[in-house]
Amino acid sequence: MASARKSRGESLLLRYLVLGTWALVCLLPILWFLSIGFRPRTEVITPQPIFWPTFSLDAWHLLMSDWPIAMYLRNSVIAVAGSVVIDLILAIPAAYALARYDFKGREDIGFYILSTRMMAPAIVAVPIFFLFKTLGLLDSVWALMLIYAAINLSLVTWIIRSYMLDIPKELEDAARTDGASDLRILWEIIIPACLPGIITAAVIAAIFAINEFLFTLLIASTANAYTMSVALANFTGGSDGIIYNAIALVSFIAFVPILILVILIQKHLSRGLTMGAVKG
Amino acid sequence: MASIHLQNIVKRYGGFVGVQNMSLEIADEEFLVLLGPSGCGKTTTMRMIAGLEVPTDGKIMIGGEVMNDVDARDRDVAMVFQGYALYPNMSIYENIRFPLRMRGVPASEHDARIRQAAEMVELGAYLDRKPAALSGGQRQRAALARAVVRQPQVFLMDEPLSNLDAKLRQSMRVQIKHMQRQLKVTTVYVTHDQIEAMTLADRIVIMNKGAIQQVGTPDEIYSDPANTFVAGFIGSPPMNLIEGTAQGGRFNAPGVSAPCPSNVQGKVTLGIRPEDCRIGGDNVQGLVYGVEPTGDTTYLTVLAGTKKIEVKAARDYRSDIDVSIGITFDPARLYFFGQDGERIRGVA
Ligand SMILES: Nc1ncnc2c1ncn2[C@@H]1O[C@H](COP(=O)(O)OP(=O)(O)O)[C@@H](O)[C@H]1O
Ligand SMILES: [Mg+2]
Repeated sequence: MASARKSRGESLLLRYLVLGTWALVCLLPILWFLSIGFRPRTEVITPQPIFWPTFSLDAWHLLMSDWPIAMYLRNSVIAVAGSVVIDLILAIPAAYALARYDFKGREDIGFYILSTRMMAPAIVAVPIFFLFKTLGLLDSVWALMLIYAAINLSLVTWIIRSYMLDIPKELEDAARTDGASDLRILWEIIIPACLPGIITAAVIAAIFAINEFLFTLLIASTANAYTMSVALANFTGGSDGIIYNAIALVSFIAFVPILILVILIQKHLSRGLTMGAVKG
Repeated sequence: MASIHLQNIVKRYGGFVGVQNMSLEIADEEFLVLLGPSGCGKTTTMRMIAGLEVPTDGKIMIGGEVMNDVDARDRDVAMVFQGYALYPNMSIYENIRFPLRMRGVPASEHDARIRQAAEMVELGAYLDRKPAALSGGQRQRAALARAVVRQPQVFLMDEPLSNLDAKLRQSMRVQIKHMQRQLKVTTVYVTHDQIEAMTLADRIVIMNKGAIQQVGTPDEIYSDPANTFVAGFIGSPPMNLIEGTAQGGRFNAPGVSAPCPSNVQGKVTLGIRPEDCRIGGDNVQGLVYGVEPTGDTTYLTVLAGTKKIEVKAARDYRSDIDVSIGITFDPARLYFFGQDGERIRGVA
């Protein structure tokens, strides 16, 4: 008994050691970034190793005074949040219809919707550019909102649909005999029952939207519509050369919202991704 | 309160016939039980009455009105589902309240009615809980309360007790019957458990393969079965069915010989219930195959030829196996069925 407990304790220790090492390997680049971001510019680029780094807010002050970061963040938030709202408004009824109503070509429509996601985005880049140009929507966050919504709509629909398929049919039958209309059933029974799926889909869509680069670069040409993802790529630090500590800090700022989103849904994330993709 | 009429109801799924040509009259305030093996079309029938399934053919009337084109939400029918179907995100209180809200019952009446329904199923203390925090029996009662609170014209219950353990099932059975008598609501109850059917029903409808086999009171079904299916389905252990030949007023099978009416001729099946057999005599000449004491009775299995015959014996009856034994049938309790399985009614 005692020896069994001891070996159990040892294996637990070993497990934490292995996991801890792996976590350190994964987290090291992030810590490195942070340390670069909060050190003086010159210290970051000296070739000599430095054992006792100096703390400095130089890069932070530079960013705050020189770079419209608030604008970029605002653009990101508006475009991403707006696109997720549009996605949910469109995807929830679509997913419900695909999950429950029996109509001709249901499976084909379902697959067609998903297949729009399989295409390489670059293929439609040029037509989209001209489309938005004609519509007078270039260089606007509203255009980005529409694009993000369009890109993620199929995936969001598919994920929510797969959660809806898991809801017992009896629940809807019960609501119907209780006197509820279809919209009531959707609103009061289905949506609450697949709320975890809806949240998961929303967060996944938000992460994809935050990271979207190609179309953002195409549509946004000034700080008017730049989001963090494009601004970050264009950022070199300023007029006098590449400023590494500022770049590191900007990267970290761009990384934080995604980290928060992932932590929020990590429990559902793998289920959402695999189910949405695999379950037909 | 309402009567229900089913007129030549058919339900086909593609080429498969789920329910075939079913006609049934259910009286106002009646407790009717649909009984049959799994897959025989009980749920389908019930769902057609509820309006959740559209019959391929035939007419459904509730309270004298044709219901075929009336949506489920507009039929005044409350259904209890096999899986309870409680709304997981709502408290028990909100679950019971849902049909009141959906049907536009004035909000001022809600609280009193919910509490009354909950009291009726002894669930008053659990109104704040979510369904997930209740036991199976409590969920079952919550589902009942949700059906009761509306005061509907018809109750439909689809195997409501099948997920409960035996002891709970017995007490819930009594509770359901009491409630139905108290509320006087026409009730259709589906089950594959013959004990439930016998104890609850005013009348039983026995179904097999989508077709009605027999309709009658529990007594009629038990003592006057229409065919071998009904005879073999009801009773535990069920009726012994022995295949043999009848000639000149005598039925013969290996190890079995019994008198029969003169109109019974040729290849027939003899039916005799275990409790209508007595030890001793010579209707059966066989060997003791096994003895099963259950406490209040003992079941004896006798091997006659290759056929096993169940006999209900005295509670203290004991025997070794492979001992030869004779059995007498109560001559007034013999049933004969033709080759098609239908009962041959005696001219006696
Ligand atoms: N939607 C459906 N599509 C095809 N067949 C069905 C459908 N619903 C039920 N059935 C079939 O109809 C028969 C009767 O089903 P059901 O009424 O559920 O049986 P029971 O409730 O008596 O067990 C079964 O064989 C079942 O497979
Ligand atoms: Mg069933």
